This record gives sequence, structure tokens and C-alpha cells, in this order.
Amino acid sequence: MQFSNFIDGGRLAAGGLKDFAAGFVTPALRLGVTGLSRSGKTVFITALVHALLNGTRLAMFEAQARGIIQRVYLEPQPDDSLPRFAYEDNLAAMKGEDRHWPESTRRISQLRLTIDFEPQGLIARNIGRGRLHVDIVDYPGEWLLDLPLMNMDYAEWSASTLATSRKPPRDKLAKEWHAFLSSLSADADADESQAVKAAQLFTAYLARCRADGVSLSTLPPGRFLMPGDLEGSPMLTFAPLDIAADTEIRKGSLAALMQRRYDAYVSKIVKPFFFHHFARLDRQIVLVDTLTALNAGADAVNDLGAALTDVLSCFRQGKNSIMSGLLGRRINRILFAATKADLVHHTSHDRLEAILRSIVSQAMARAEYAGAAIDVAAIAAIRATREARVTQKGEELACIAGIPEAGEKIGGTGFNGETEAAIFPGDLPSDPKEALEGKMEGSLRFVKFRPPLAKDGHYGHIRLDRAVEFLIGDRIG
Amino acid sequence: MPRSAIERSTPRRFKWASVLFSALLLLIALWAGNAALALIEDLFSRSIYFGYAAAAAASLAGLAAAAIILREIWGLIRLRRIEHIQSKAAHAINFDDKAAADEATANLRSLYAARADCAYGLKQLVSHDHEIIDPRNRMRLAERLLLSPLDDEAHRIVARAARRVTLLTTVTPAAALDILFVAAQNIRMLREIASLYGGRPSALSTWRLARLVIAHLAVAGGLALSDTLLQHLLGKGLLGRLSARFGEGAVNGILTARIGLAAKAVCRPVPLEGDARETLGSLMRELVSFEESKNVAESKSQS
Repeated sequence: MQFSNFIDGGRLAAGGLKDFAAGFVTPALRLGVTGLSRSGKTVFITALVHALLNGTRLAMFEAQARGIIQRVYLEPQPDDSLPRFAYEDNLAAMKGEDRHWPESTRRISQLRLTIDFEPQGLIARNIGRGRLHVDIVDYPGEWLLDLPLMNMDYAEWSASTLATSRKPPRDKLAKEWHAFLSSLSADADADESQAVKAAQLFTAYLARCRADGVSLSTLPPGRFLMPGDLEGSPMLTFAPLDIAADTEIRKGSLAALMQRRYDAYVSKIVKPFFFHHFARLDRQIVLVDTLTALNAGADAVNDLGAALTDVLSCFRQGKNSIMSGLLGRRINRILFAATKADLVHHTSHDRLEAILRSIVSQAMARAEYAGAAIDVAAIAAIRATREARVTQKGEELACIAGIPEAGEKIGGTGFNGETEAAIFPGDLPSDPKEALEGKMEGSLRFVKFRPPLAKDGHYGHIRLDRAVEFLIGDRIG
Repeated sequence: MPRSAIERSTPRRFKWASVLFSALLLLIALWAGNAALALIEDLFSRSIYFGYAAAAAASLAGLAAAAIILREIWGLIRLRRIEHIQSKAAHAINFDDKAAADEATANLRSLYAARADCAYGLKQLVSHDHEIIDPRNRMRLAERLLLSPLDDEAHRIVARAARRVTLLTTVTPAAALDILFVAAQNIRMLREIASLYGGRPSALSTWRLARLVIAHLAVAGGLALSDTLLQHLLGKGLLGRLSARFGEGAVNGILTARIGLAAKAVCRPVPLEGDARETLGSLMRELVSFEESKNVAESKSQS
């Protein structure tokens, strides 16, 4: 036993050394695709990998335009403890007669994409070959909301969650849970059935906050809504109690039980998730479903901004120095992307970018101050619509056309999922402030479009090329 | 434009001098016409065949003169058009302005529409038409597809001219002669670069271009301190010790290369980006490498 431990230890050390050496020869770039749930992470990753693998023309991707990319391929899964990103399944879902967008992500997965290229430098050209591994991780967006919990203890979290739930628009959605909460005493002896009931009602409240039409974003803890393989685990049976942030908690009380489970949740779930996947990122793209939030109103927009600011403050952003290679790398390029830009006409894209800029202004200022390069773009990783002009009552409207999913409705007209429809989505305001104040509530008309069919094996996109160039372009060539 | 700014700042006066010159020119033209007519009449009175021959020669001369004038005007219009594209492109790149980018790319397209060496790039550019690309990036795309092959060619033209000047200065016996040579070579290079980028370098437009190039050099002069150092090292130092004539030749070559780069900046329809601006150093590498010059000779013999 002792001996095999010794061998395993040696293997580990050799493996670590190998990793270090491998990183020296072929550098790996860890791309963090960050986004709350339903922001389009899975589609973005699938589209990015598909475009690079199939050599889809990306006009602004310099390395491709210069023709120095020799080969792009998927490497066998490097990390044996993580499932591989189901790229082929997601792609298959978007093909054929009953094509649909990929299901929402339920667990974490990883993919390694390798790019072989012709190196440009004199030395590199003669002694080396150009090869870059791009590691991409996909995970349920809900889990991202847990990151701010690392900096809070139970009492603090409890107090702040309860305070938010008592403000409109959440107060109406939390009635049931609040009623049960008032029957609980934090100082009473611990009772498992009460803890379970509280957790259930709290989860139901979170689910209601996320529902269509409300579209709130700040909903930690994320595993309550997307438990992954932890369904029913005792680590998920806790809920906030009505206590102040600086309460002394008595041993053996209900509050103590809740506190123990909260601490376990943070140390056993949140921290490993963060340190394994987010602590070593090189580049980050923050996908934001701005349009849905705008349509849901001012509360949703403000909540989205707050959630993103909280989440992004957990990442290490800034310039890399010689020492940071040893002490842990920083994220030195961050792209804020307003996804689903194909739902509005391209003349509105500048405005969409301006609105996103003001939503994430705090997070952006922080990253910029730390020295990271920042860009904002309205993108659609897969473009499901095309643009059309429709003349109605003598007025020319800039419309988008696509095939809406069956069951979608606009103003009483239903769609059957077969016929194409031209839709006027509405104009975004030129002043982003108006949008933040909720003037857009319900004024945007958009439906869910079916995924488009690939044309000659390639999907259309909006500014995916710009995103690729910004995120990985400087490391090729 | 700095010129118009100067015009605006000085009080407008009636330009008697230009009236004088115009009137004199008109007089000379009338005198020439009159003399020609008198000659033709004279010849008609002597023999009808002489008369017809003279009339034919005169009308041919008139036709040629008209063609030259038209070509000059055409060349100037072309130059104006390229300057217009330049300003629109700069605006599009600096302000991400869609209208300017659309106008500049449309103009670029029609400028290069009839050129065989741009056909491939043009085809590529057209295929991007229905994609959504930001104005600044669309400008860069047009630049990459249409102008970067031309940039390479311009680079070769400059290097060739610089080499030729170096050689000629080294072998010409009289100092006065090589001034002429260098001037002629530089003008030739300027015209080649201008027509490469779509200009029609006639006499007047070449004159205007030359003035712009000199202005450009004067502005950029302050930045070229390191180049001057290089010149001292080569001309008066190392090479000068080897051979005084060769040292002078090298200096003239470097001067030509610098004029070539300025000419490129002036003639290119899309302004060069700050970091993409070529330095003399990158050209020097091409100048001194024999392999490159072989390539140039080959490409020249092919074309």
C-alpha cells in the first residue's frame, strides 16, 4: 500500500511536470465562456467550434484571412475527470426536419480544440511549429451565480437574500415562502422536515423569479435551480432564515443546521467549481441576453446588471506580468457580447451595444482599471434570421425574417414552425438610459426562431469573426 | 485640408495676376492659331495639296492638344477622387461611421473594377456583402482584399527604384548628372506607384502628387531621426570609408526609398494604420538582400 502510494505520488509529480512541459511546447489557452442561464453559452461554443473546424469564412479573423491556419481539430478529452462537451449531439439537434436549439446545459463539460498554424517569427518558423490548444468549458449558467457566495457567510447571505425578496417585484413571488418563514424560529431546535420544507418553498420562489415575463437574474444558490447530479443531496436542503447579518447562532438550533449546510455547499461545491474551472482562465467572453431583459422591464435589467457585476468581481482580471505565470494567470481580454443580435435589425446593433455597455459599466470599469483589454459587441453565433424591408402604410420598416418555432405567437397570429415570417422587432432607443429605465418593457416584438439550416456546411453568424479575433487571434501567428 | 484653411485666413483679394496670365495665354493661343491659319492659307494659295496636308496636320495637332488637355483633366479628377476616398476612409476608420464606409468601399470598388490584378480580391469582397460587419472592419476588409496585393507591388517598385538610384549614383562620373538621374528615377517611381493605386499620373497630377509627397516628407521628417543616423553611418561612415561614391549612392538610395514610402502614403486610397506604416528599416532589409532582388527581377521579367 505504502509502495503504491509512493508510485502514485511519483506519477502525479511526473504528470504535473509533463503538463508544465507540454504547456511550454504547445501553449493552451483557456477560454472562459461566461454567461447566466439562457444566454446562449452552448450555442456559442457549438457555433465557434463548428466554424473553426469547418473553416467557415470569418472575415475579421486575421490568421484565417492570411491563410496561416493549417488544420483545426478536436483533441481527445484531456481531463479524465470531466465529461466531454457534447459537440456532435448539439450539432445534430440543430439539423434535420425537427431541428431545435440544444437543450439547456445540466452539467459541466469540456472540449479541447487544437489549431495548427504556420508560425510567423523567424525563430519559430525554423525550430518550432505553431500549435494552440483552446480549452473551452461549458456549464449551467445558474452555477455562476454561486461565485459571490464565496465571500459571504450564512447570516450575511440570509439577510441580504431576504431583504431582496421583500422588495418588489419579488415580494409577490415570495408570498408562500415568506408565510412559512414567519412560522419558523431560527433559535428553535433543528428539525429536518422544516429545513426540507423551507428549501422546497425557497426553490419554488427562485423558479418563479426566473420564469418568462419576470426574467430576474440574481438567483443564488444556483444548484437549487440546476442541481446537476446533486439532486436531493443534504447540501441543497437549506434556505435563508429571518436573521440579522451579525446574529450569534446557537449550537443545535435550526439556524446552526442551515449554516452547516450552507458552509458545506460553499466549500464542497462552489469553491472546487471555481478553482478547477475559473481560476486559470486566459480569456473571457461574457454572454448577456440583453434583449430578453429589456423586454422584461427595468427590474430585470437592473437585476441582470447587479448579477453580472457580482459574478465578474470573482474573476482575476488584468494584465499579465512575468510573475503572473507562476502566481496564476489573469484574464487579460474580456469581450462583453450581447447575444441573439439576429433578433433585431443590424441598424440597431450599435444601440444594443451601447445598452449592454451601460448595463455592465461597473464590471467593465473594474476590469479596465485592472488593465484588461475590453470590447463590446452585438453577436449572434448562429444567425437564424435574415433582413428584409417591408412597406406598410407607406412606411418602410426594417424587418427580420426567419421561421418562428411552432406555437410562437405575435399579436394573435400563431406560427406553425414551417412558414417564414417577416417581423418588425421594434427600434431600440438611441439613449441607453431610456432602455435601462424600462421604457422598452414589452415594446420589443420577438419570437423564438428555429435554428437555420447550414448552407454548404456553414452557418451564418453576426460578428462571430470579431469575437474570435479578439479572443484568440493574437495567439495565432 | 490645410490649404483651404490658409485661404480662409487671408482676406480675399481679386487675383489680378491670374487675370493677367490668363489674358496673356489667350493672346498667345490666338497668335498661334492665327499664325497657323495664315500658314495654311498661304500654302493653299501655293498648292491645293500642300494646303490640305497642312490643314490635316493642324487639325491633328489640335486633336492631340485636346486629348492631352482632357487627359490632364481626367488625371486631376482621378487624383481628387482618390483624395476623396482617403478622407472618407479615414473618417470611417476613426469614427466607425457607416455612411462614410459605404461610400469609400463603393468608390474603391469602382476604382478597381476594371483591373485584372484586383479581380480576385473584388470577387472576395463582393461575397462578404450580405454579412453584418462593422463599418470600421468593413473598411479594413476592403483594404486587405483590394490593397494588400498592391502594397506588395508598391514595395517592390520602391525597392527597385532605390537600388537603381544607388547604382547610378555610384557609377555616374559627374555630380551634376546624378542629380538629374535621381530626379528622373524618383518621378518615374512616383508615377508607377500612382498608377498602381489607380491614379492617372499625367503631367499636372504628377506635379501635384510630387508636392504632396514633399509635404508629407516635411511632416514626417521629425520622426525620421533614426533614419538620419543611419544615413550618417552609411554615407559618411562605414560605406564612405570604403568608397566615397558608393557612400553617396547609398545615401541617395535611402532618400529614394523614403520618398517612395511617402509616395505610397500619398497615393494609397486608404490611409495606412499607425503601426502598419512601413519603416525604412523594413525596406532596407529588402534592399540589401540579394535573394529578394532576384525575385524582383523574376517578377519583372514575368510581367
